[in-house]
Amino acid sequence: MSWRRILTHRFVVVPLAVALLAAGWNIYIRFNDDGLIEGEVRDRTGAPVSGATVVFFERNFVYYQEKQRTMTDAHGTYRFDGMQVHVGQLEARTEDGRHSERRQLRLWFRAQNAEVAPLIVDAPRG
Amino acid sequence: MRRAPSWPRHAIMVVVSCLMLVPFYWVLKTSLTGENIYAYPPHIVPVDPHLFHYVDVWYLIPFPRYLLNSVIVTTMAICGNLLFNTVAGYALTKQFPGRRWVVLLFLSCMLIPFQATIIPAYLITSWLGVLNTYLGVALPLLSTIICIFIFKASFEAVPKSLIDAARVDGLSEWRIVVRIMLPLSKAAIATNVVLTFIWSWNAFLWPLIVIRTSEMQTLPLGLARFLSVMEDTTGALFAFVVMVLVPGLTIFLMAQKEFIRGLTSGATKG
Repeated sequence: MSWRRILTHRFVVVPLAVALLAAGWNIYIRFNDDGLIEGEVRDRTGAPVSGATVVFFERNFVYYQEKQRTMTDAHGTYRFDGMQVHVGQLEARTEDGRHSERRQLRLWFRAQNAEVAPLIVDAPRG
Repeated sequence: MRRAPSWPRHAIMVVVSCLMLVPFYWVLKTSLTGENIYAYPPHIVPVDPHLFHYVDVWYLIPFPRYLLNSVIVTTMAICGNLLFNTVAGYALTKQFPGRRWVVLLFLSCMLIPFQATIIPAYLITSWLGVLNTYLGVALPLLSTIICIFIFKASFEAVPKSLIDAARVDGLSEWRIVVRIMLPLSKAAIATNVVLTFIWSWNAFLWPLIVIRTSEMQTLPLGLARFLSVMEDTTGALFAFVVMVLVPGLTIFLMAQKEFIRGLTSGATKG
């Protein structure tokens, strides 16, 4: 059997294709796994909210607990570093008692860099 | 005489095929949606499908470790099967005193269910000191009688004149097996690979008995552990099932042609 036939045999091609896909995926992960989660906090009018606390809850089948919290800057943006998670929830809270909905965050791999859609803080219920 | 149209037969076969594929479709659909299997009315088409249940499974249990363990055990079983079954199958094509008794012994052993031999198998494995090792898990599947007979049937189909010619050319018995028999028995090899893969990949009872640490667990044991530890995980559970199924299905689809040929070759021989 020639090398050409061996290399084009489906028992070689299929595992090779799977291995290449896995390698490509792992390379992509390697360059995008700093655990950076970034986003903005705004109010209902769309204005950025500075000084708001953003809480990240780790939520999966086993845990549901606060993992990390940070504050928004003058532009209403926040950033988490080194988040070794792939699923969780984000919530923004302001000092005057307003808060956002808990936003479900699902990532394709652990510590994936992600930009989250703006969290909108609203008046507390009741 | 006019031939009856073939489309009704094909239509029936398509319908039956679709019915047989429904469970597979349902598993796949549930893994993508996480929809509770008791939901009423059930959705035939997936609603908001996504792949995050697969991500959950990958990270929430040591899936890569289970996968590696299964791959190692299955590879060992396949290699052992090819080696031992080839040799045994070739030996059974030869005439030697007591050959009929050996064949009879093999056939009678096939009647004994594996569950009945678990205790002696465990004692032998323990005596060899390979409990909780890959070799220990693969040991009972290193050679299977049905695969020996598949090789025997395949080898018997090779013309005797070819073997005589090889012998005249000075080939030893080993080289006859490697150079003549095996290249002419691709279907039997594929059948061995597929059958051993399926048996080893799905093995549950023997690994459950032999494996003692979670690091050595294979995928079926991982699935059982997943079921016992996690709750309310319909989507993730079905995603896990798909992840366990996919390698076996892939191997089967790749070797389907040879597999069918290997099972049917020699079927009409006396």
